[in-house]
Amino acid sequence: MTAAAEALRQPTSAQPGSLRANLRLFWLGGLISYRALFNWARPSIYIPTLIGAPTFQILFFAALGSYATGIDAEFFAIGNAVQVSAMSGIYGMTMAIANERWFGTLHALLATPASRWAIFGGRFIPFIANGLLVSVYGFAISWIFLGVELRAEALGVVALGLLATVFSCSAIGAVQGGLSMRLRDGLFGANLLVFLFLLFCGVNIPLEVLPGWMQAVSQVLPFTHGLQAVRAAVDGAGLDQVGGLIAIEFGIGAFYAVLAFGLFSFLERSARQNATLDVR
Amino acid sequence: MDGLRRNARLVWRVWVFTMRSFLASEFFILTAILQPVIFASIAFFLFQAGGDAAGEHTLLWAALGTGMMGVWSTTLFGCGGAIQWHRWEGTLELLVAAPSRYDMVLLGQTLGASTFGFYSIVATIAWGMVLFGMPLNADFPLLLPVALAVAILSLGCLGMLLATSFVLYRHANALSNLLEYPIWIVTGMIVPLAVLPGWLGPISWVLSPTWAMEAIRGSAIGSEPPWLAMVLCVALAVVYYLIARRVLRFVLDKARRDATLALA
Repeated sequence: MTAAAEALRQPTSAQPGSLRANLRLFWLGGLISYRALFNWARPSIYIPTLIGAPTFQILFFAALGSYATGIDAEFFAIGNAVQVSAMSGIYGMTMAIANERWFGTLHALLATPASRWAIFGGRFIPFIANGLLVSVYGFAISWIFLGVELRAEALGVVALGLLATVFSCSAIGAVQGGLSMRLRDGLFGANLLVFLFLLFCGVNIPLEVLPGWMQAVSQVLPFTHGLQAVRAAVDGAGLDQVGGLIAIEFGIGAFYAVLAFGLFSFLERSARQNATLDVR
Repeated sequence: MDGLRRNARLVWRVWVFTMRSFLASEFFILTAILQPVIFASIAFFLFQAGGDAAGEHTLLWAALGTGMMGVWSTTLFGCGGAIQWHRWEGTLELLVAAPSRYDMVLLGQTLGASTFGFYSIVATIAWGMVLFGMPLNADFPLLLPVALAVAILSLGCLGMLLATSFVLYRHANALSNLLEYPIWIVTGMIVPLAVLPGWLGPISWVLSPTWAMEAIRGSAIGSEPPWLAMVLCVALAVVYYLIARRVLRFVLDKARRDATLALA
């Protein structure tokens, strides 16, 4: 039995609704939901999907980008090393929310008086950690095969930029998860989002090359500002230079997180009123 | 003769059924149409930013390449899970126990998947023409339908080989996720093999998407008819089919002996 499951078995003296109970729900609920609802958590799926596919995505775009534009492969390697965190942030968060309905546990979850903030917020943590892990792996691959170098003094700012990006990506993934509670195929939107990030957010195409309307759209999407910050930090920019970009990325993430929570609450109310909680 | 007609009819029926069921699937609409259009846009912008690295036919090069990437993705996902879906739906035992040959059912299914993938090429060419002003002219227009037909055949048979191989692995979809980008790279769909490391060459020769791409691109923007590529597509299709049939027989015999046919 794992530590998380063992901890859940222990009786708790915390009053339902108290801060302690909510923190417990936030932390343990997040861990348990990751294990129960993330279909890709087992090694036989995790390794090909979250380790293998990102490796080849980075190599593919480095080859295509440097061939087509003549720009150094480093540009594409960094962009994709950051973007691969979407595998966890988008697909993971979609599964972590929408699978409650598909696995038939949603009604039991919503029947509890537990804080929705604690239930919902706790789900972010494992996927943010997972996204960071995938991106760090992406940087390692970029270093090994494409010669991308990170100086020691840049690591802190790069890590902060990466954290902001992974958070905002997970937040929009939570919005998608909320929508998926009503859709027949939630992963359709998740797939589409992941591909659109590749096109809109400066992952592969320098933003100035995109038409004006696409640049405008990119400003409200995750990745755009965080990725700019990470690129600048890799080139030696300090926190004073990229702090604004990181703050915007966190802000975008916070906006999507609040939107996702609002959507989740709305759908819960609507499903109760219309008796459509388990309708598929 | 009767047997041949019966098998051809079976393949045709399953082909039609597969095409129709994919048309109703959001996932395959995404894989065969939306995803290639997004990748085509990325390629168009990149080639434009780089000053048309692939020469005067850059846009058509990119449209065909990204279209073919979509064909591969559809084939990969459509065939990778072909047997697994029958298991999930509880129809595998019925199909295997039926007097009709199961390898023909699977062939129809995988040919259907690879044919459906060709919506990708239509989508990326239309996208390039409408949004990027791409001119459409084929150097060997009469060869183009032949090239498309041999490409469908070769990818369908490769798909059949994938379907039979993946059945030994419980999480076929994960393998499909893994194999999408590597084949795009190693078969030179959008980045010419000449600019990639030389050791990839021999790997690309045994993969039919390499020759399918060569046949289609050669018919559209080639300097001479791509006869060799077409012949190799057909030859590889035959080899894949024979291997797949053998593997399928082994896998099904083993599953029947071990009573694991329905176990996913």
